[in-house]
Amino acid sequence: MGIGAVALAWLSAQQSANAVPAKLPKEVTYFDLKPKPPHFAPRAKAMISLFQHGGPSHVDLFDPKPELSRLSGSEYPGEVQFSFINRATKTLFGSPWQFAKRGRCGTEISELLPNLADIVDDVCLVRSMHTGANGHEVSIRYFHGGIPGVVGRPTLGSWLVYGLGCESQELPAYLVLTDPGGLPVDGVSNWSNGFMPPLFQGTVLRPKEPRILNLEPPLHVRGAVQEQNLAFLRDLNRRHLDEHPGEADLEARIASYELAAAMQTAAIEALDISRETAATHALYGLDDPATREYGTRCLIARRLVERGVRFVQLFLAGQPWDNHSDIRNGLPAICRRTDKPAAALVKDLKQRGMLDSTVVHWGGEIGRLPVTENHGDSAKSGRDHNGQGFSMWVAGGGFQPGMTYGGTDEFGHRAVTDVVTPNDFQATLLHLFGLDHRQLSYLHSGREQQITAGREARLIGEIIEG
Amino acid sequence: MRPWPRFLSLAMTIAVALRASHGAAVEPNAPPTFESDIRPILRVHCFDCHGGSEEKQGGLDLRLVRFQRAGGDSGPVLAPGDPDGSRLLARIRAGEMPPGESKVPAKEIDTIARWIAAGAKTARPEPASIAPGLGITEEERSWWAFRPIQRPAVSSQSPDPRVRTPIDALLREAMPEGPTFSPDADRRTLVRRVYFDLLGLPPSPEEVEQFVVDRSDDAYERLVDRLLASPHYGERWARHWLDAAGYADSDGATTQDAVRTWAFKYRDYVIRAFNADKPFDRFVHEQLAGDELAGPITGDLTPEQIELLTATGFVRMAADGTASGDNTPEARNQVVADTLKIVTSSLLGVTVACAQCHDHRYDPVPQTDYYALRAVFEPALDWQAWKSPAERHVSLYTAADREKAAQIEAEARKIATARANMQTAYMAEALEQVLAPIAPPLQTELRDAYETPADKRTDAQKQLLEKYPSVNISPGVLYQYDQAAADDLKKYDERIAAIRARKPVEEFLRALIEPADHAPETKLFHRGDYRQPKQSVGPGALSVCGPESGRVEFASRNGALPTTGRRLAFARWLTGPDNPLTARVVANRVWMHHFGRGLVSTPADFGRLGTLPTHPAVLDWLASDLRDSGWSLKHLHRAILLSTAYRQSSRRDPAQTTVDADNRYYGRQNVLRLDAEALRDRVLAATGTLDRTLFGPPIGVKEDDAGQVVVAGDVQRRSLYLLQRRTQPVALMQAFDAPVMQTNCEARPSSTVATQSLMLMNGEFWLSQAAALANRAQRERAAGLSAELLAGLPQSWKPAPVWQFGYGGCDASSGRTASFTPLAHWTGSSWQGGAALPDDATGWVLVDADGGHPGNNPGFAAIRRWTAPADGTLSVRGTLGHASESGDGVRGHIVAGSQGIVGQWTARHGEAQTSVENIAVKQGDTVDFIADCLENVASDSFSWRVVLTLAQDGGGTTTFDSRDGFHGPVSEGIELSSVVRAWQLAYARIPTRDELQAACDFLTKQIGHLRERPQQTSADRPPEMQALANLCQALLSSNEFLYVD
Repeated sequence: MGIGAVALAWLSAQQSANAVPAKLPKEVTYFDLKPKPPHFAPRAKAMISLFQHGGPSHVDLFDPKPELSRLSGSEYPGEVQFSFINRATKTLFGSPWQFAKRGRCGTEISELLPNLADIVDDVCLVRSMHTGANGHEVSIRYFHGGIPGVVGRPTLGSWLVYGLGCESQELPAYLVLTDPGGLPVDGVSNWSNGFMPPLFQGTVLRPKEPRILNLEPPLHVRGAVQEQNLAFLRDLNRRHLDEHPGEADLEARIASYELAAAMQTAAIEALDISRETAATHALYGLDDPATREYGTRCLIARRLVERGVRFVQLFLAGQPWDNHSDIRNGLPAICRRTDKPAAALVKDLKQRGMLDSTVVHWGGEIGRLPVTENHGDSAKSGRDHNGQGFSMWVAGGGFQPGMTYGGTDEFGHRAVTDVVTPNDFQATLLHLFGLDHRQLSYLHSGREQQITAGREARLIGEIIEG
Repeated sequence: MRPWPRFLSLAMTIAVALRASHGAAVEPNAPPTFESDIRPILRVHCFDCHGGSEEKQGGLDLRLVRFQRAGGDSGPVLAPGDPDGSRLLARIRAGEMPPGESKVPAKEIDTIARWIAAGAKTARPEPASIAPGLGITEEERSWWAFRPIQRPAVSSQSPDPRVRTPIDALLREAMPEGPTFSPDADRRTLVRRVYFDLLGLPPSPEEVEQFVVDRSDDAYERLVDRLLASPHYGERWARHWLDAAGYADSDGATTQDAVRTWAFKYRDYVIRAFNADKPFDRFVHEQLAGDELAGPITGDLTPEQIELLTATGFVRMAADGTASGDNTPEARNQVVADTLKIVTSSLLGVTVACAQCHDHRYDPVPQTDYYALRAVFEPALDWQAWKSPAERHVSLYTAADREKAAQIEAEARKIATARANMQTAYMAEALEQVLAPIAPPLQTELRDAYETPADKRTDAQKQLLEKYPSVNISPGVLYQYDQAAADDLKKYDERIAAIRARKPVEEFLRALIEPADHAPETKLFHRGDYRQPKQSVGPGALSVCGPESGRVEFASRNGALPTTGRRLAFARWLTGPDNPLTARVVANRVWMHHFGRGLVSTPADFGRLGTLPTHPAVLDWLASDLRDSGWSLKHLHRAILLSTAYRQSSRRDPAQTTVDADNRYYGRQNVLRLDAEALRDRVLAATGTLDRTLFGPPIGVKEDDAGQVVVAGDVQRRSLYLLQRRTQPVALMQAFDAPVMQTNCEARPSSTVATQSLMLMNGEFWLSQAAALANRAQRERAAGLSAELLAGLPQSWKPAPVWQFGYGGCDASSGRTASFTPLAHWTGSSWQGGAALPDDATGWVLVDADGGHPGNNPGFAAIRRWTAPADGTLSVRGTLGHASESGDGVRGHIVAGSQGIVGQWTARHGEAQTSVENIAVKQGDTVDFIADCLENVASDSFSWRVVLTLAQDGGGTTTFDSRDGFHGPVSEGIELSSVVRAWQLAYARIPTRDELQAACDFLTKQIGHLRERPQQTSADRPPEMQALANLCQALLSSNEFLYVD
């Protein structure tokens, strides 16, 4: 019998003016990462998000615009939402790259992404993303935290592990794989736990040793020495617990040492990609200097999800997709680095039978404008920010494979059909995880908070596999 | 029956008992009324469009029942008695209303249906007219938190002898039949608890003993008084307040997160205020309106003015990006909004932020109230006349300081002028020396070229100077021509710097100072958007706390002050008799820190979305006691700490636990984990490295090699003083739930996660603290221990070095080592008989890392001794070398303790391989490597590096390299009394016999283990000390250390 019922029973017997009120505080003071049942049967159990900071140029990669190509060099007829007005032009800039229909589904993909073209039948491409804001941080925070521009909110991964816990108790539930070149734009806010306890913060898997901080003991306490230390600690704690019977927090603390010891072994094993076959290494491009780094992280992401991690997110340093200038060289370079590993991840999950239950997400916070940001030299031209319309793709976990959804105007500036906001995306994602975004709430400052923050959020049934 | 202690009897006033009346508490079977049950639902879901604002959708106003019956453009929406005929219900049921995602929950729809079915009753006749907006109903006004504070009646006699104080009496009264308070905690537990609660620091073992043996009646009261008088009390309780105030040492808001160099002045003010027990009402006035209290500033700031201006740092705590590239109207308005949030959540316990855009949906806070509060701050925090962060700095320079600084500068300038003259002279001298050897016409041309300013030189002059580069003398290269001159100029520079260093140090405050005669109009922002200003709103407080006729309004100008006086009026209202919230909020926070949970568990929200007080009478008793005592927090602490409720044991009584697992009735104390600051401070106190200095600039932080934010430098101040940079939280602090400030922190969670454990197991800080504790324990050792405690246990663990270095001889007839005497003198690189060679007693004998030198005859051979740490089979590889071209060489023997001589070699002007296989050894067996001089000791330096491989009987192979294993003097080992001391330092108690036995077993086992693993130990970390450090790490990571019971 819970305390609430007991208290109510007492209350009815109490006539005192100083009675304990009927409404006992509803507060959760204890949090853990044990697996928790979703609201309804889930399609997805884990997610790997390949976040692409800077704003990948959808009109050059995902969203072919014949009209833009036809009118390239002429003036854009409508109004443009620029970010950098000082460098702005209204000269239309047709994509220098060719698109072609790919796969059985015939989705048109740019020649810059030959590997994506290979897996396009497994991918759901959304061409009508919209944040309404051009700024990087504003839109990044919208994607992660649910409100444009607002910092200090829990990120998507925090919500998932808060709601569902983690299948593995030996690995962190929410892992972030950062780039050796440094942090992405907006830094650690990208994996903030916001107002939730630090338990729900993304754990950074560093690009160099030590991969997880404090995971490995220094040499002098390694191995049997640490086992002896922990055994002695356990003995101390057991004696203490005997003096404090029934204190759940003390028991949880004892268990957390056992878990920590198990994590040391489990994490080292999970990160050891030498256990993978040569074929797998080749699949992810580990044999090519251009793809080795990102491929390694994609492969590690798969190994983590395979071992029960709930949410893994990869970031690039800074914002390599922010091609304001010299897009003709800048865009192919970052495509070369990421295209093969990202496609390999989908292929690999599929061949292992994991794709059905794992969402792979590929996307940035904004897209780019159809007009040129002409630095006085057409060879150096680039594109300015565009939060009005852009593309991203998802695969697996219950998303409809081999489809495109939504669309932008004939130039690719604004999303016009089946517009999808980050809140819509969050609501749909949580749905695939068996969670109702309105019900998954966290009590903060006396208010029930949700990832979609009470904002309008549409569950996009059309992109869910039937 | 037992009378109250005398000191409390004064506090017993008869008062009307507070009825536990709440808006939400409804008699289960009473028929619903509009005011109590329906209006709150409509307020959340409907009033935004139908009544709350001027514009009413479909002409429908739902604020009164008769408006509902009258209906809107499409006719009536309510038919009393007929739920199915009421469109109000139908549209909600159909999910058509409200539009959008948010729907009315089924339970509430059911309430509406029941209400209509029962005739759509109101609690009382509806008013004839109604003002625009939502207004405040009688029900809302009678919400528990807005009712006046009423001191509950407390009977001065209780049938329960466990009742010591009024708090106990009120708690006891609320307890169900059966259980009462637990017995008092034992004295050791109690003294620890009070220390951590009041100081955030552990008692020393001596302080614990002092209290334990003090059997006087008032020992506990005196302890409490002593701790309340400690300067560390202010540090502990300042930290609690700084959470609520959102203290940070940086600007936040943008990625730049500039450091606020002078924020610490406010932190120090808070510490001083708590230590002085500054009346809390005065504390509030100073923080909100110190500038208005300070009076006109003419000339130097007085100490009082400095104090008052420092206090206003409170309203400068909000994150603020306006100095780091985001000086937009949005950013400025965000600072204002955050400041209001800090003020209201810390002092009012009402969340007003929702009312920025619309009337609060749950609590009676109309949007106009929000802007009335904003109007209080607007003259000082005017987003349209924004003061940049740099402009808010107030210099603490006095006129005298300024004058002195100017004098000193003038003095410095004099020297600087003299220096400039000297430099010119030196350079001219150098030029002449360079020009001297050059013949006259060219000499003159070069001089002219040099003396012509660079931009006026002709091409010919430039070429000339290029041709003679050495003529290009500049101040920077003067030293190359005349070192003495350069040195002389440097002396001038030093003198100038020394003079300037005498200037008084200029310090600053971060203050909020309202400009004189500045009263901008405050506009209500439609939907919170500053671009949509609506009507003007005057300064005021919450309407719900005001008279029924309207809100609490403050004068827009105060004729007696140069400023508007609005904040001062607001501050005085907060702590005045008409506002019941602030005293309750403060009392609740104090309770929360003593019991781990507030009587209201949402300390910043006393509204409908918060939780109700578990003990409203206790809360009101505390709040009125706080007020009546002249807002003395120390008085309040005393009232709480002397209660049985506080002093009782935390041990769960199984019978009681089953009925009150969460301890809602306070039938025991709570076991609480130390917060981050107390934990770090405790470990530093245990190791004796804590620097208890008060006040001052923050201690810096840095990223370590692994990228973790750690404390920079070796100064180990209390955690309160660590730099609180929003983007650089110290990893240890953050892991143990210290807030990373966004706005402010209302209450900290207490998490239990594996990452904390990993930090204590493997983190550099915790491991180094464990080693420090071991060193301290070893240094201090416990004294006066009883014989029973120690009897039968190992009294010490002496080192058993694997390698020893000595001299002696090999007895060829017995095949044994005839004698082994350790060499007594360590030179830093070798062992020998004395400081000088040859030594009077031992001659030339020495042993070093690679070999050594034998003594004068075979009885003084150099011996390198290895001792087997385990049973096994040993093989030896090595090379005995004699490099000299002279002498008769050296002879080497290997003597294995159990088997005798297992090998013999001679090396003369060359090398001999000294390999032996399959030597069976038992643990403790010695193997000696004996080198003697043969006949002649001359030129007998030898090298003999051996590598031993021990295949252990138990499995595993260990390699011992004589060069790696060579070492100087070893530690003395560890003592049992050191182990006991470690216990005292960590836990402030000695171990039980069982615990000590377990510790001995651990040490013996681990020392043995480490001796077999030389790669895990080192000369400065021999096995015995390493094992003791590991034992200390367990102590510092244990629940007894992390929790207070």
